[in-house]
Amino acid sequence: MNYRTFVYEKLGETLYEYVHESGLKVLFVKKPGYNKKTAMFGTNYGSIDNVFKVQGSDKEIVVPDGIAHFLEHKLFEQEDGNMLDKFSKLGASPNAFTSFNQTVYYFSCADLFEENFRMLLSYVQNPWLTDENVEKEKGIIGQEIRMYEDNPNWRVFFNLLDCLYVNHPVKLDIAGSIESISKITKELLYDCYHTFYTPSNMVVVVVGDLVPEEVFSIVENMIKFKDRGKVEKKYPEEPEHLNKEYNEQKLVVSMPLFYMGVKDNVRVSGYDLLKRRTALNIVLNDVLGRSSELYNKLYDEGLINDTFRFETSLDKAYGFVACGGQSPDPKKAAEIISEALSETAARGISEEAFSRILKAYQGMYVRSFNSVDNIAREMTDAYFNDASYFDIGRVLEEIDISYTNKVINEVFSNKTALSVINPQ
Amino acid sequence: MGRLDGKIVAEKLAEKQGVQFYRLRSDKFKTSRVDIFFVDNLEKERASGNAILPSILKRGCQSYPSITELERKLEDLYGADIGGNTLKKGEAQLIGFNMSHISDRYTMDNTRLFDECCKLLMCILENPLVEEGGFKKSVFAKERDNLINYIRSRINNKIQFSLYRCIEEMCQGEPFAIPEEGTEEDAFLLTPRKTFMLYREMIQSYPAYVYILGEVDDTSIQNFIDNFLKAGRSNIKSIKTPDVRKDVREVRRVDEAMDVNQGKLCLGFRTQIDPCSADYYPLVVYNGILGGDTHSKLFQNVREKASLAYYAQSVLEKYKGLMIVMSGIESENRQKAEEIILEQVEEMRRGNITKDELDATKKSLETGMKSMQDSQGAIVDFFLSQHLTNCADDIESTAEKFRKVTIDDVIRVAQNIQLDTVYFLKPRNLKEGIA
Repeated sequence: MNYRTFVYEKLGETLYEYVHESGLKVLFVKKPGYNKKTAMFGTNYGSIDNVFKVQGSDKEIVVPDGIAHFLEHKLFEQEDGNMLDKFSKLGASPNAFTSFNQTVYYFSCADLFEENFRMLLSYVQNPWLTDENVEKEKGIIGQEIRMYEDNPNWRVFFNLLDCLYVNHPVKLDIAGSIESISKITKELLYDCYHTFYTPSNMVVVVVGDLVPEEVFSIVENMIKFKDRGKVEKKYPEEPEHLNKEYNEQKLVVSMPLFYMGVKDNVRVSGYDLLKRRTALNIVLNDVLGRSSELYNKLYDEGLINDTFRFETSLDKAYGFVACGGQSPDPKKAAEIISEALSETAARGISEEAFSRILKAYQGMYVRSFNSVDNIAREMTDAYFNDASYFDIGRVLEEIDISYTNKVINEVFSNKTALSVINPQ
Repeated sequence: MGRLDGKIVAEKLAEKQGVQFYRLRSDKFKTSRVDIFFVDNLEKERASGNAILPSILKRGCQSYPSITELERKLEDLYGADIGGNTLKKGEAQLIGFNMSHISDRYTMDNTRLFDECCKLLMCILENPLVEEGGFKKSVFAKERDNLINYIRSRINNKIQFSLYRCIEEMCQGEPFAIPEEGTEEDAFLLTPRKTFMLYREMIQSYPAYVYILGEVDDTSIQNFIDNFLKAGRSNIKSIKTPDVRKDVREVRRVDEAMDVNQGKLCLGFRTQIDPCSADYYPLVVYNGILGGDTHSKLFQNVREKASLAYYAQSVLEKYKGLMIVMSGIESENRQKAEEIILEQVEEMRRGNITKDELDATKKSLETGMKSMQDSQGAIVDFFLSQHLTNCADDIESTAEKFRKVTIDDVIRVAQNIQLDTVYFLKPRNLKEGIA
């Protein structure tokens, strides 16, 4: 059996990589001494992939919003029963998630890894959809959508994306709407499945105290589907400007909630993406982190509290940075933050701050290897952006101030948008 | 130090001046950490004062007198972390502090991070920012505002809010009704001086538990313990054990209207079972079969069969012997959902439990007990819980007790589970809630 081994000595981790004849890639990280084993089977297909060419035909179709997430729910259903029950009979806990760019099925267990892993690989290859079971799911997902409608953090986030993006489907709610999912049919779900659930568009990630040959030979035996060729995704042209600068919604909250963001209009992938993400994080940390003067000023003035967060969301197909939390005066807080960001874009980051924050990120990278689930998630995410999570080690060695300042300039000179949830 | 075959035991290093020090050995993690828990009785007049302490102390200490200085120091220590929070475990209020950092071998310069980080942790605990015999006024005032805002913001998360309201209604007159951050009215009564006196009491007299994990040498640990006890502690407070028994005369029903889209139904039950008693283990299995996982009766019947909800689950509050069933539903389905839920509870009582349900739940608990050992935080939580309830079982003997639970055991505990309160957060008529 042919596989490659990568030893990261300083970090104390080993990665094994195997490519199945179908083109499916398998990544395995060995964690000696850990009881928990996690396996993920994911496809590079998420809520943003709603316009595409169906495999084997020339027709380009537009599918209802929320269909990738709907398909995720439905894959658990098999002709001989629900997969959730079968995993739980073996003591494993199965689940799945759909994000903007991926749908990932996974389980974690302590015992009977092989049996569980076989089931995971098998059911993801074998959808079983009926008109009846598709209808039934609409009630359940409908309640999932309703739950998010009442979640102020979720709403403030998607309202911000609606400000940032004019056309890009990243602005659409992952689960769709009650109205959009009502249009989902068995046939449309099969079209999506056959287009995106193909070996070269997927990845298997396994983390735990296991033997690489055994993991890979299970994949070798279980993968039956053939590659259906390259997936042709289509995203609309996204202008550089904002869709709108401000959005406001009223919900039952005690104090206004705000989230503001800037679009990153430069598209990169692979190692460059990890590096750009790191640069943006370092800068956000410098300007808005708990160690920054601005954070303390805003905190002292009562304009933010410790719900304040920032994030960098960078993907092959879209990118933005955002921050926010509770504030009695979101507009004022946002104005001060916007100003600080454009000032930093002009001035750059200081040598002292850069090396101090870099050190903190080195620590966080090491820390992230404590958790089996976290490693599996990060590995999958990096893979779908054509990168390896382990490249972050190299990024942290190679990244420098001049690169970081260049990125700041490209991103923080853009206009910021603000989303606010006000109390009723 | 060799492999430990996954077995993690709590090695008691010392018990002095009301503090128990434990070392939890496992060499697979990349971080070292220290967790400190001070314990007080949960009382209305003291709860907000206790709750504000971690927030004030995290604002800085005499060597690092602002968040900026403190956080910059932590970044320089490879992103070390110092945290503090308040927890409610039954009718005890815990004030927790923790420190964690990456092991020295992963640093570029082999810094001795443990000693450095402990120094910082002790600075925060022992040398807060003070003036005129109280906490520094500006810091105090800001953190009191933050505490009040935090208490008010409970309504933001509707699932948590409905759970909190259900418990508040259900436990009226019992200490357990008091929320972990106390109440708004009591927060208003706090002053820099009164709070500082409470802080002195915590440092000197609250019983405490300390857990040390990671690659740390014995000398460093001994130094830390000596330092911790240097000032001397006395008049150690005694902590009451909550009463889990309550005979419910009449089911309390509370409906509250709010401008939300989805209704939240919460059913509160009394289990009458003490943690660590022989019946506790079957109770955990009972809860698993009823509403713990995807194989559970609630998930299967409320969600999969009736399509009424996205979530339908039950959770235990171990220390107070409560069980709460929660589900998010459309207002018009409230009656139906409640009926299905109560039917499942009745099925449990009648003993309609299959071997598959029992086995799946026990296997899931087995997986949980094993996986728990892969997270330093979860390991600390397990031993803290054992120590708080004076339970001598370690991880293995706890797992063994779960393995031995039979269907008859589960049916036995089912007989005493009583519905106490039904709480419904009801959507006010608002169809156009979303733009």
